[in-house]
Amino acid sequence: MRNCQCINPLKPYPATIIKIIDETPDVKSFQMVFDNPAVMENFRQKPGQVAQLSVFGVGEATISITSSPTRRGILEFSVKKVGMLTSALHRLEVGSKVGIRGPYGNHFPYEVMKGKDLLFIGGGIGLAPLRSLIDFVLAEENRGDYGKVEIIYGARSMDDLCFKYDILDRWPQMPGTTVYTTIDRAELGWEGHVGFVPAYLEEINPSPENKYAITCGPPIMIKFVLQALEKMGFADDQVITTLEMKMKCGIGKCGRCNIGSKYVCLDGPVFYLSQLKRLPPEF
Amino acid sequence: MKIQEKLREIARKLLAGGEAGVVIGYAAGSEVSRVVPAFISREEDVDRLVWNPLCINNLVKYLLDYRHEPGKVAVVVKGCDSRAIVRLLQDNQISREQVIILGISCPGLINPDLVAARLDPEAQIKAVTTSEQDFSLQTEREIFTFTRDEALLEKCRYCEHHTPVISDFIIGEEIPPTTPLDPFTAVKALEELPVEARSAYWDKQFSRCLRCYACRNVCPACTCRECIFDQAEPCWVTKANNLSENMAFHLIRAFHVAGRCVDCGECDRVCPVNIPLSLLNRKILKDVKELFNVPTPGTSLEELPALGIFTNSDPDEFM
Amino acid sequence: MKAYIMTGDNLGAWLDTLARDFTLIAPVKEEENVILFKPVKGFAEINLNYTNSTVSPKGWIFPQTEEMFYFSTAGGQINLTDVQAPRPAIIFGLRPCDIKGILTLDPVFNGAYPDPYYQNRRENTILVGLCCTRVERHCFCTSMGGGPTDGRGADLLVTEIDGGYGLEALTSRGEELIHRYQGYFTPDQHSRVILAREELGQKLAGQFTRTVDTTGVKEFLDQNFELPYWDEIARRCLGCGICTYICPTCHCFDIFDFAPDGERGVRSRCWDSCMFSHFTRMAGGHNPRPTQKERVRNRFLHKLKYHRDRYDLDGCVGCGRCVTKCPVNIDIRQIIADLQEVAQHA
Ligand SMILES: Cc1cc2nc3c(=O)[nH]c(=O)nc-3n(C[C@H](O)[C@H](O)[C@H](O)COP(=O)(O)OP(=O)(O)OC[C@H]3O[C@@H](n4cnc5c(N)ncnc54)[C@H](O)[C@@H]3O)c2cc1C
Ligand code: SF4
Ligand code: SF4
Ligand code: SF4
Ligand code: SF4
Ligand code: FES
Repeated sequence: MRNCQCINPLKPYPATIIKIIDETPDVKSFQMVFDNPAVMENFRQKPGQVAQLSVFGVGEATISITSSPTRRGILEFSVKKVGMLTSALHRLEVGSKVGIRGPYGNHFPYEVMKGKDLLFIGGGIGLAPLRSLIDFVLAEENRGDYGKVEIIYGARSMDDLCFKYDILDRWPQMPGTTVYTTIDRAELGWEGHVGFVPAYLEEINPSPENKYAITCGPPIMIKFVLQALEKMGFADDQVITTLEMKMKCGIGKCGRCNIGSKYVCLDGPVFYLSQLKRLPPEF
Repeated sequence: MKIQEKLREIARKLLAGGEAGVVIGYAAGSEVSRVVPAFISREEDVDRLVWNPLCINNLVKYLLDYRHEPGKVAVVVKGCDSRAIVRLLQDNQISREQVIILGISCPGLINPDLVAARLDPEAQIKAVTTSEQDFSLQTEREIFTFTRDEALLEKCRYCEHHTPVISDFIIGEEIPPTTPLDPFTAVKALEELPVEARSAYWDKQFSRCLRCYACRNVCPACTCRECIFDQAEPCWVTKANNLSENMAFHLIRAFHVAGRCVDCGECDRVCPVNIPLSLLNRKILKDVKELFNVPTPGTSLEELPALGIFTNSDPDEFM
Repeated sequence: MKAYIMTGDNLGAWLDTLARDFTLIAPVKEEENVILFKPVKGFAEINLNYTNSTVSPKGWIFPQTEEMFYFSTAGGQINLTDVQAPRPAIIFGLRPCDIKGILTLDPVFNGAYPDPYYQNRRENTILVGLCCTRVERHCFCTSMGGGPTDGRGADLLVTEIDGGYGLEALTSRGEELIHRYQGYFTPDQHSRVILAREELGQKLAGQFTRTVDTTGVKEFLDQNFELPYWDEIARRCLGCGICTYICPTCHCFDIFDFAPDGERGVRSRCWDSCMFSHFTRMAGGHNPRPTQKERVRNRFLHKLKYHRDRYDLDGCVGCGRCVTKCPVNIDIRQIIADLQEVAQHA
């Protein structure tokens, strides 16, 4: 009789926080590296995948890897403080130790998207998963494979905009890239667009021609964005979104992230709208 | 069967007149030895209601599901269950105006295991007679007689209130409160044991607890909006299933229902691993009764839970 | 497949020996009407007068609480230490439905991410099945593709025969066990064991009081997610953990850390249940299965559809535990029958 020699998917690898960016009053981005360089080297995520972050003594949470795979040597996570683990993460400092396991889940269909224009629609912290794909597509080595990139992003207020350095500075300067930013209510010092994301989307009215629309944000935003896209003529398999369900194991065993017979941790979090429509409405 | 006919008649009237939106009662279960809680809202379903000596479930807690719904709810209660109504009223969980209490004067119930052992599971009970000596269940083919001595449900042997303590209708002939067998016989026997033996006894019981929380979920004294055992922060009791956490769960719960437990016996009934929960609760009940000289909680609306009020004459052995 | 015979007297001696050489898990009468699979020191503790245990024996392969690893964050460094691998064990007395329960769990804990805790215990545990000798009124294994003498999945299958026990080695591990303790057995020269088992099987087949027909139920559920029927059932459900905790096929768990001093602690997992309201409740309060209706539906759909969708296996083995233990008589046999009736009228 032998003991299982397989790697243990439930045991995280130790990692260190090397940089923390205050994005908004309740969102921080954390750059992390594995303590073991071989683990760092072998960690090959794809855009849209997630990891389980551990603060030992508190627990784990599922967080999207927001950095693009083209950016080697670090992993970046943007975390909104909502509960126990996320608050514990927010209390950590540069140099603090955490645990990471993953990558888990499916990924954005970046192969299928080649040759197409891409329309990203994000709200609040929902930009985090999209950002891994945006930066992947905009990376020099991949840029030629994709057409125009449009990014529509909104948050409640100026303060609540995540990744300001990307949406306001870096991305607008990238070739073939347009960024539309909006906040819910007018504010002193804001000269950009004011209004909800779905309404802004309808205003911009992008054509569905040769295009994929990828959206992530609060459920209510997603709901109206999907309706708007449908109105504009996007077909169900041109629209992609990511889903959120409570997760624990991340590997299809603990049984809680199911929507019908699909596990979001294995079969998601990325779904085409056409797939979503075939799932029971339990998310 | 007279009770059953009368019950259906009242239920029908209540629904027909729109006086009640739903009647919570019992219906035949998937096997002859079982009944299910039934929620009857249409007149044509009234004949699903049954009353027989297998109607053990305390239905009172379901009233909480209707707290925020319009209309009145009628609920079938036995004597023991009626104390749970008082519990919910005193805890301000339900309002008296919203409930119609269909009280059954209950001569005692039968141990369903014995019924299951003797009757074909697919049989149907057609008629029931109960006398001072026995229960007779008549099925399509046969009549089965059980003597009360062998078959009376354990909790009914200690029954104080055969007739509900609070009701809008009393169905069946009133049975005056009895002086039952001493409900604390088992508690006293346990108290006699040396402390190590008592401790070993409870260790053995609690160590097999599954922490399924059925005992809590069924309990009419457990009505917290968020139970501390479900709270993650602060975490009083971890999810680990081991003796220390299980013990913490049981002791905390016992104290949370101390002086409020109406002794309906539901926790005992639902526990899948037969942990004698009412023994624990009765020990506390006995102490509360002795210390504060109060009746069984839920006996009357005027008598507030001993630990829920303060008077200068309270003994202060605890503090 | 080889068969052996053991005299009635030898059973006790053999089990005493097994208890010495392995962790022996066997049915124990814990309390009146409570049979549990527990580690025993010898035959004297074992109770063989049972049809099925109160809680399924899956807990010896998938424990209710399992420590996964220890951690220390002392001095700003992270140290993770593995827990000790479990000692080789033998589960004796598994009924066929519970063996099938383990086969139902196998694909969950295998797959793209094999689960090392489950795998370790599974590989370190020899399964000795014991054919049923009577059928209880809640049993319906034959309706779910099993049977009281169908020991597939066991390493060794034991059948009570005239004057003793018959043993069939179904795997090489079972064969090894026989060899290791060969003094207790004699080879079965005349196929007595198989004949006795088949005869027993035939006899018991007639004793099931209730059978259910699952034909078409899954197909109906494939097309019908929303049914008022679930409201009706869920209304009386207490939302407790009984049905899922005693079930041999439920596999849901939670993961939690315990670190009393804040620095050193253990990460464990423990059974969880889709019948609990907080099972799917997310930070911020959103709950995709907000009422008991969705939870009850999830449980039955998992048993009757989702497990089939994912693993091509029924999620229920017909052990009948939830049938007897549900305090409000939510009876899966009735559910199947009702769904079939609804399907026919649809
Ligand atoms: C696929 C996916 C990607 C995600 N990406 C991000 C991201 O990039 N940034 C971000 O800030 N948040 C993300 N989330 C949400 C994040 O997982 C939860 O906010 C987080 O788990 C809350 O943990 P907590 O301990 O702070 O909250 P508590 O309420 O204390 O939760 C306790 C436990 O419940 C589970 N849990 C609770 N809510 C959720 C939830 N919404 N999703 C999954 N598990 C939950 C976790 O295991 C958590 O540890 C993502 C969720 C999913 C499913
Ligand atoms: S019902 Fe029994 S097993 Fe369940 S939590 Fe209560 S005491 Fe434990
Ligand atoms: S669902 Fe019920 S009958 Fe089926 S395997 Fe689980 S406990 Fe047994
Ligand atoms: S989802 Fe529910 S029914 Fe399915 S395995 Fe988990 S607890 Fe059991
Ligand atoms: S079905 Fe029965 S056992 Fe399962 S949660 Fe509901 S009341 Fe509890
Ligand atoms: S997170 Fe455990 S099954 Fe998906």
